Amino acid sequence: MAVFTVKNENVQGKAVALDDLILTKDYPTAAGSKMLEGFMSLFDAEVVPRLQNAGYGIAGKVNVGEFSLDVLGETSHFGANRDQNGNLVSALSESIKTENAFACLCTDSNGTPRRAAALSGLCYIKPTYATVSRYGLVACVCSGETVGVMAKTADGCAEILSVIAGHDDKDGTSLPQNMIDSAKNADPICKVAVISSFMNGLSADMSEKVNASLASLRANGIEIEEIDDSVLPLAQPAWNTLSAAELCNNISRFDGVKYGYRTANYKNIEELYTNSRTEAFGLLTKMQLLYGSEVLSTENYMPVYDKALRMRRVLCAHFSELFASYDAIVLPACSQTAYVETDTDTAYNESLYTAPASICGLPVAAFGGIQIIGKAFSDYALLSLVKKTEGGAAQ
Amino acid sequence: MKFETVIGLEVHVEMSANSKIFCSCGAKYGAEQNECVCPACCGMPGMLPVMNRRVVELGMTAGMMLNCRINRTTTFDKKSYYYPDLPASYQTTQWFAPIAVDGKVKIETDNGEKFIGIKQIHMEEDAGKLVHDDWTDTTLVDFNRTSVPLIEIVSRPDLSSAKEVIAYLERLRALLRFAGVSDCRWEMGTMRCDVNLSVRPEGSTELGVRTEMKNMNSLSAIEKAIEYEAARHIDAIVSGTEELVQETRRWDDIKGKSYSMRSKETAGDYRYFPDPTLMPIVIDDAWYDAVQATLPLLPEDKAALYMEAGLEEKTAWQLVASRRLCDVLDAAVEAGCPIKDAANWIFSDCMKLCNREKLTADELPVNGQDLAKLIALVKNGTVTRPNAARVLAAMFKDGVQPETFAAENGLLAGGNDDRVDAVVKQVVDENPKAVADFKAGKEKAAMALFGQAMKLLNKNCDPQQLKEKIFAELAKR
Amino acid sequence: MDACQMQRLEQLNRVALTEEEREKALAFFASRFADMEKCNAVDTENTERMVHIFALENVLRADEKKKIFSREDLLKGAPEQTDGYWQVPRLLE
Repeated sequence: MAVFTVKNENVQGKAVALDDLILTKDYPTAAGSKMLEGFMSLFDAEVVPRLQNAGYGIAGKVNVGEFSLDVLGETSHFGANRDQNGNLVSALSESIKTENAFACLCTDSNGTPRRAAALSGLCYIKPTYATVSRYGLVACVCSGETVGVMAKTADGCAEILSVIAGHDDKDGTSLPQNMIDSAKNADPICKVAVISSFMNGLSADMSEKVNASLASLRANGIEIEEIDDSVLPLAQPAWNTLSAAELCNNISRFDGVKYGYRTANYKNIEELYTNSRTEAFGLLTKMQLLYGSEVLSTENYMPVYDKALRMRRVLCAHFSELFASYDAIVLPACSQTAYVETDTDTAYNESLYTAPASICGLPVAAFGGIQIIGKAFSDYALLSLVKKTEGGAAQ
Repeated sequence: MKFETVIGLEVHVEMSANSKIFCSCGAKYGAEQNECVCPACCGMPGMLPVMNRRVVELGMTAGMMLNCRINRTTTFDKKSYYYPDLPASYQTTQWFAPIAVDGKVKIETDNGEKFIGIKQIHMEEDAGKLVHDDWTDTTLVDFNRTSVPLIEIVSRPDLSSAKEVIAYLERLRALLRFAGVSDCRWEMGTMRCDVNLSVRPEGSTELGVRTEMKNMNSLSAIEKAIEYEAARHIDAIVSGTEELVQETRRWDDIKGKSYSMRSKETAGDYRYFPDPTLMPIVIDDAWYDAVQATLPLLPEDKAALYMEAGLEEKTAWQLVASRRLCDVLDAAVEAGCPIKDAANWIFSDCMKLCNREKLTADELPVNGQDLAKLIALVKNGTVTRPNAARVLAAMFKDGVQPETFAAENGLLAGGNDDRVDAVVKQVVDENPKAVADFKAGKEKAAMALFGQAMKLLNKNCDPQQLKEKIFAELAKR
Repeated sequence: MDACQMQRLEQLNRVALTEEEREKALAFFASRFADMEKCNAVDTENTERMVHIFALENVLRADEKKKIFSREDLLKGAPEQTDGYWQVPRLLE
């Protein structure tokens, strides 16, 4: 049980922690998996020199669940973090709260950092897709994953985001600089919609937490309307389908041949492959990759995978419609305030809340149990809104 | 019952690019194992593919040369399977919207012209190479070839004999080489071919059971493999001793037989899906036209032009076998060199040097302008014919300018008549025995004097002129 | 989908589940596919698939060769290597 898989005892400058899906040439990167235990990258992710050139130091590599597919890091090969009551505590938020990092960079495909921030009293921004380079991530879901920033305050998130965001020729999906810069001039957020159907499945204390945050928004002059919506929940299966397929493909490179874990038990190449992968991957990873493979089969490609790709367009168009009336959409970040036991369905169930922003690449700020989803390039406007709720603490 | 053979080909051609398709590693054949590799092309996590512009243009060129329609929006897809030569366990290829579709290639057959349909051409990355090590009984993996850009040219099943297949492959090779898409060298694996074959009763419109054959490394292997496989199919149908199944077979050229590969994966298992990391390529009219403007004439049209310009038929065809030779010749002619002189120099001195340096005609290192300059220097007597070979060798090796090199190395012949006269006199003076021998009727003695004089003159003298001067000097004695 | 098909899928993906895991995986699949069915409430007949969130095009690089990484470094983490090659058990041809 450790927050860091590797800790830098000698940080120069303000310390920023990196989740262990971000490749570093000076520290091993394992992505929470036995498969990559001790893996040394030959190069740094693009975000690393951006931080260093701006005078920040690397606090260490933060323990994550295997490929960050889980709820709060519980599937890590290096063990889960728990508090004294046995509740799961994400190492991402702990790197700031107990290890005093100024901020933590988190890879976000399945919403783990949003849950971590929303439950720990920290602030988090998942920026607009492709505004932060994905060069040097242990890629899982290339079509939607982003590097996000967690910090104590909205200002802290904005400070680090402005350092790591920017065009990168090494990432073919990276947006042009002028589009990325447009985030600095976004209109302020005045009116938001809360989707009522998402409030139904919350535990009582989670409901309370969410309502308190909504009250704080209202107290700061934000107009809140409650609306019903039947389309956004469909992001959950669609995003899971896309992300499982991409995960399956991306981690097929981990096969025991070139680097990483190789089984001791093989007589031929087939046993080498199968035993290495079977011994090194956890059950959630296996199930997710198998599902991802199945949705791409000849029979399922059109009705399932292609359908999910079409649903992405439906959802993006639907968000655009909502943004015609509202500046942002508020959803709970997760269903409960504490998690003790999870199984292979929990992360999927929780992705009900996080999938809508992920599948459409929209920016999301998370704090106090909620997520505020803005239109593309409204990243700093979202953080300004969060800052209002921080009252004196953020000044 | 008479049978006919139905054949379709999948031809893989490595494109002539400097770097790989999605990363900046070198793409040329011949480096030491794993010296042209980076984290991306050995399957390490973290790097993202960025498409090579030149590869798109070579793909377009190939499509245009084979009379295809170019897809104005072309995209990439991922194809998944496990094999140690495929480091990412997926190959990035084009499944949904390939660069070019619906083309045709004209071949000559015994019954006249025939058009072979091209279903599609797609761009993709090559796999690595496996070396089987008998000593340790292991397989060794070399990723140099991984991600080298390929095009795969898929024909329609329009071919009906080994002879037609060879004609088609030779035509593809000529067109692609001439357009600079690839050097298409079977022996180096930069051109490879899989054969899809079935047989059916003559006149039938239904296709029989199809097998795919791999691992033919030469035209003669392809010919043998087709004849073997067609006979096997017919025999299976007629005698019923073997049931034909749709499968992939490996050709063993030494045994002269094909064997079932019993591969576990079938086409449906490849799990193709659109690559989210590579953006679509959109070819607008300006780009299309720019690439089209670079297309060469067809080789036969170019040869006809050369013949019109006065070259022998044989020479013209030899030239169009290599785009490089044509480019050098055209540039030399452009620079004012008579076409026959340029062709003579290319096929004599230039090819001799290429052979010595182990270069192919495609790698001829001199450019046409410089060659024209050298030929002019020889024609106006500034550099002698024997010294011109030395100048050309330096041009091959170091890319020097002929006039500068000749001047700096004392290889200029012009305006040294006095020096020649002095050397001739000196040589005759210093060799009384040779003079006596000559006087006694031994003509060979004059040749010894000639050799010495030539050496002293550093070859800067026209041989005929020197010979005459020696005889004149001897006559005086 | 039955256990047999699941086993075939495992082979294709080079992982092996225990029988108990396979039962779980079948339930996992049933629930995921059932959820995907919900999307059929939305007619997407005339909706174009959306592979990329932002519609960039022609992201291309110049055909330039660079050598940055050494063979020695690339092979450092290899489970088995010899003479500048990665090494695996003998493959049958």
